[in-house]
Amino acid sequence: EIHTNEKEVAEKEVTLHLLPGEQLLCEASTVLKCVQEDSCQRGIYGKLVCTDFKIAFLGDDESALESDETQFKNKIIGENDITLHCVDQIYGGRPKGQKWKFKALRKPDRMVSLCLFDRELLGQWGEKEIKLIVSGIIHHTLAPKRLKRLFLFSYATAVHSNTPTNPQNHTVMFDTLEDWCWELERTKGSMKYKAVSVNEGYKVCERLPAYFVVPAPLPEESVSRFQGHGIPIWCWSYHNGCALLKMSALPKEQDDGILQTHKNFLDGIYRVIHRPPYEIVKTEDLSSNFLSLPDIQTAYSKFKQLFLIDNSTEFWDTDIKWFSLLESSSWLDIIRRCLKKAIEVIECLDAQNTNVLLVEENASDLCCLVSSLVQVMMDPHCRTRAGFQSLVQKEWIAGGHCFLDRCNHLRQSDKEEVPVFLLFLDCVWQLVHQHPPAFEFTETYLTVLSDSLYIPIFSTFFFNSPHQKEMNLGREGQDAHSTPLHLLTVWDWSVQFESRAQALLQNPLYVEKPKLDKGQRKGTHLKHQRQLSLPLTQSKSSPKRGFFREETDHLIKNLLGKRISKLINYSDELQDSFREFYDSWHSKPADYHGLLLPHIEGPEIRVWAQRYLRWIPEAQILGGGAVAMTSRLVGMMEEVRSLQEKINERHHHQTALPAEAPSLLRSSARLSSLFPFALLQRHSSKPVLPTSGWKALGDEEDLARREDEFVDLGEV
Amino acid sequence: MWWGGRGQSFNIAPQKEEPEMGLSGPQSVQGSGMPEPRSPQLGSCLASGCLPGEQILAWAPGVRKGLEPELPGTLICTNLRVTFQPCGWQRRQETPLSSDYDFALVNIGQLEAVSSLSRVQLHRPGSLLKFIPEEILIHGRDFRLLRVGFKAGGLEPQAFQVTMAIVQARAQSSQTQQYSGITLSKAGQSSGSRKSPIPLLETPEDWETERKKQGANGWRVSLVNERFDVATSLPRYFWVPNRTLDSEVRRAFGHFHQGRGPRLSWHHPGGSDLLRCGGFYTASDPNKEDIRSVESMLQAGHSDVVLVDTMDELPSLADVQLAHLRLRALCLPDSSVSEDKWLSALEGTRWLDYVRSCLRKASDISVLVTSRVRSVVLQERGDRDFNGLLSSLVQLLSAPEARTLLGFQSLVQREWVAAGHPFLTRLGVTGVSEKAPVFLLFLDCVWQLLQQFPAEFEFSEFFLLALHDSVRVPDTLTFLRDNPWERGKQSGQFNSYTQVYTPGYSHPPAGNSINSQLSVWDWDLRYSNEQILQFHNPGYDPEHCQDSWLPRQQPSFMVRGPPSSVWLFSRGALTALNQLCPWRDSPCLLTVSSRWLPRPAISSESLADQEWGLPSHWGACPLPAGLLLPGYLGPQIRLWRRCYLRGRPEVQRGLSAPTITGLQDELSRLQELIKKWTPRTSPGDCSQKGDPNPILSQSH
Repeated sequence: EIHTNEKEVAEKEVTLHLLPGEQLLCEASTVLKCVQEDSCQRGIYGKLVCTDFKIAFLGDDESALESDETQFKNKIIGENDITLHCVDQIYGGRPKGQKWKFKALRKPDRMVSLCLFDRELLGQWGEKEIKLIVSGIIHHTLAPKRLKRLFLFSYATAVHSNTPTNPQNHTVMFDTLEDWCWELERTKGSMKYKAVSVNEGYKVCERLPAYFVVPAPLPEESVSRFQGHGIPIWCWSYHNGCALLKMSALPKEQDDGILQTHKNFLDGIYRVIHRPPYEIVKTEDLSSNFLSLPDIQTAYSKFKQLFLIDNSTEFWDTDIKWFSLLESSSWLDIIRRCLKKAIEVIECLDAQNTNVLLVEENASDLCCLVSSLVQVMMDPHCRTRAGFQSLVQKEWIAGGHCFLDRCNHLRQSDKEEVPVFLLFLDCVWQLVHQHPPAFEFTETYLTVLSDSLYIPIFSTFFFNSPHQKEMNLGREGQDAHSTPLHLLTVWDWSVQFESRAQALLQNPLYVEKPKLDKGQRKGTHLKHQRQLSLPLTQSKSSPKRGFFREETDHLIKNLLGKRISKLINYSDELQDSFREFYDSWHSKPADYHGLLLPHIEGPEIRVWAQRYLRWIPEAQILGGGAVAMTSRLVGMMEEVRSLQEKINERHHHQTALPAEAPSLLRSSARLSSLFPFALLQRHSSKPVLPTSGWKALGDEEDLARREDEFVDLGEV
Repeated sequence: MWWGGRGQSFNIAPQKEEPEMGLSGPQSVQGSGMPEPRSPQLGSCLASGCLPGEQILAWAPGVRKGLEPELPGTLICTNLRVTFQPCGWQRRQETPLSSDYDFALVNIGQLEAVSSLSRVQLHRPGSLLKFIPEEILIHGRDFRLLRVGFKAGGLEPQAFQVTMAIVQARAQSSQTQQYSGITLSKAGQSSGSRKSPIPLLETPEDWETERKKQGANGWRVSLVNERFDVATSLPRYFWVPNRTLDSEVRRAFGHFHQGRGPRLSWHHPGGSDLLRCGGFYTASDPNKEDIRSVESMLQAGHSDVVLVDTMDELPSLADVQLAHLRLRALCLPDSSVSEDKWLSALEGTRWLDYVRSCLRKASDISVLVTSRVRSVVLQERGDRDFNGLLSSLVQLLSAPEARTLLGFQSLVQREWVAAGHPFLTRLGVTGVSEKAPVFLLFLDCVWQLLQQFPAEFEFSEFFLLALHDSVRVPDTLTFLRDNPWERGKQSGQFNSYTQVYTPGYSHPPAGNSINSQLSVWDWDLRYSNEQILQFHNPGYDPEHCQDSWLPRQQPSFMVRGPPSSVWLFSRGALTALNQLCPWRDSPCLLTVSSRWLPRPAISSESLADQEWGLPSHWGACPLPAGLLLPGYLGPQIRLWRRCYLRGRPEVQRGLSAPTITGLQDELSRLQELIKKWTPRTSPGDCSQKGDPNPILSQSH
């Protein structure tokens, strides 16, 4: 029986597609990939391959996958591939039976063991060889690496000669002064804020981008005083003139003299930004009374565990406790708190007409999260694809979020690993889920974006700061005495997907903002509209000098790490006004091109089902799920369009030109709810069970024998 | 176009009508102690909405709160319902009951009176209100909430009186009152003999039509229970195998619990039959002949028989009731559960867990029915609760016809109403114990399916909500009786039998009473046309319905001799049985209760996989078209928020409508345009083609 299988493998030898610069490290043939862990006899025979980019399984099931469902194929990573950066855990060991088992779990992107490998121990294979392969894989995936050894560089070196520079889909990259000026113009912030190039060449600070925006009257030399700490940096301006600022806190010091210097310095800064035309500044200290990074990491690893379930029996067992398990991970609660914090900030900006200054130690984690959430909710431009991508470029990439450390790409230290960006995507997903027509992109877009975090051919998420990226590229250029490396950005979706597949990233229901008349100024119009719909308490905007001072003092105390008292009354008042703001917004019909707030009540925060359930075959609903409705929608849209065309033709006396562009969704009759991610598991070739097999399978002894004990191969 | 929108739950705009119209309504009897309404106009307004036999007990002006916008109006308490009449709004004659403003007395779950100083719950008739209420909160058992604030300024006594009247009326209604339904409504009279929109299955013709529709050729309609002497809880007519004689049926049914023997529920076009029956009556001692006829009825001519222990892995009635109570407590607007504990509180109700169990079981059974030709027998001791639930779910899953609006209603009529689900007892209207909202559990299951397969159902969530709310509305007898016999007795269907069966029945109604009897399916009694339009799911794709059945070989129906394989399906696995009936040597099969035991590990692979692991009839397609297999994993079972959280204003808002409706409108508008335009360009007059169409020029 095994021999026949071998023959089949030999006949259908599948070629390994290597990317430019990719190297084959080790391989093992005649490996059985199990369909489900608990029934090891079933599966597909093939070859297990490890390269310096991915672990891949080459099976003979490729032919079965040529159906419609695989149209959403990723051009970089196949169905049975795991990039090395994705590998989360590796198990391996010799169970009591005569088989070696090897299992690699993908990182969040593919949670469940699609990649369970199991090797039939045949005569010609000694235990030694297996150990060699497995430990080889472990070495290449889990061992710490140096940055320059990332596949990113070997790929870039191999392809840089023939890659033309692609337009980035109108994504603003924020790596030039012009980009920042453009953004200032767009948000009408150029009156009060200016883009500075003081950090050109990273002379002042390696954390900050080369160009950024500060309040106009701020003297440039104060930027360099504390390496960019203590400087309010502009994020975004609302159309009422209020701005969102961020600041990295000054380092904590014990010395009174230094503290005094800090205080004087901050006083100076505050004198600048408190003078008219600037609005009052409210401070949100994100490092003291908000989420802590370790909490996020703990919650996420608990949450992730919920979906790492090996078989459906286990699923059924945990199902009864599903909600309490979910709650105890507190991941959803963390999402709720992020959304709530963003709404609090919005309330200040929108209802109270104050500036908001976000303060965090390095201003590169929760600052990025909150400020980009605020912008997604307030700025309709950030809900378009290009706008969202620009936002990520601005707040996360230029903002210096340490992707390399937070994703632990180099496997150097687990301590720094925190899924902040993923948390952001999950928050955005909640918004997309609650207000689908407001977004140009779909949840699928968010899902593939979160996958791209671990594909090391895109430079976007593989550096800690723009400085680090530039340094590494620059040196390469000097060594080779050639043009500097060209790294791909993730925003070039055509690298990963065909254009037909890219259609799934586009929300068919999104309606672009209606164009305003030319005579009408955009800003004034919006403001007018806003005031009509939100006649909220403007009284607080009249600045009282005393209140002002107290605020500043409070802020300085916070910043210096000496929080003397918590103003409880103050926070109560805040709660009330927050509630009022939140309720009054939700009691009115939503304007999808204006301010957009999420619901944050208990039942409203959901699990991002597409992302977390997509590799679980048991979660598949054939012919159901949101896809059913979407495909219906796409069909209707197409019909509307063709009818409109007909009418137009009739109107313009033109002959019919039936332009049929069959979309992915239209073609197949019944899609799975996991579309476009999972394939139909039932396609997989399984040995046929005998009719009486229901009972025969239940043999107690057989079950006992099948009990596998995994040995941690970490030490091998 | 969608119901609700933001901020207002299910309100239609208040409709103004001519005051003269109001006078035509039946005059009400003023409750004692109430002041006469000051103006005749108001009096007639109040009276106009009354049903026959309805009396106004008390009323007070008030303002409806909680929803935007606040509506001024009048709170009225009658002996049937509490209703809020907005100012200037009048009941239309064709919809004598309002889905928005009416609260049937039996529907009131909790009553709260609030003043600035205190807040009390009024439970018993004796409970005294010691203050003038400023606001009154009525929590419906159907999760709705009515908040009425009373204005200050001289009318406080009225507020007090209406509150007390509600307390008393509610107490009385739970003791004695059984409303007899609108037998002679205005609508029914005006249109002459009103035809029921759905076959009510009260005549043999209805059953015969339905049988033919299902293509159940091996079955016939049996008249054996026409006088309800086999069982009162059974319908008068049902389907039995062709070759079984009525005398055999009568004898065989005697060996089942409450005389509910095996009957056909549904015939799968592929050839399988789904049967339902009660538990074997263990005390009886059937002779050989009887056993043979019982067996042949269970076997229904198939060689493969699967007995399904319905109660296995499903909650008990008490479990369901407890879960529903907990769920209602959780969903009250002032429930004290904090947001971060919401999920575990929801889990603690176990309601969703029960929903999941039902879906899982139904999905397994539909696999059994579809995968090969066999007879699948649902067996529950009483055969009146979960058998109906499972059989309806199985049909929804495997028959596209059942997913249409019409099909679903006749499904409910057949499997629940006609099959004798004890609605009155289960929904606790009579106050007897054994309350258990099994039907509401079923509706929740259907909602889950609707969520998972948004394009497969012709009806919308709004329709399910309407059905959910209709359960306690005292307008028709559909849900207000425990079995077909009582229902028929009340509506005077069997005049000819009156002497024999209901000697005390005094008023034989008019001859056309059968026709004038209204059912819950007469939606226009309670819903306006705009609302009824929303019963349709705009996302429904009727293409799914057409190619529903792939041809499968129908084996010859008559299989003589004993079945070749008999299985018991429990805990997700099939176990071979030696015999069908328990009487020969072993005691009852169903005595061993296996509920809530973990499934054996072998069933980790779904039943569908096991069944279709065989070389299938369907070639490459893994599932037959038309069969839906629902997901029932933890994350896939959701809370029906539009239903259960209706009372919470902050959740109510922003249940934003799917924008597919807008698109649908656009589509039909365009199609309309095209249609108008097409005949003009009919082949003959090509010369006219150039003329700009007036309709089109409008649209441009």
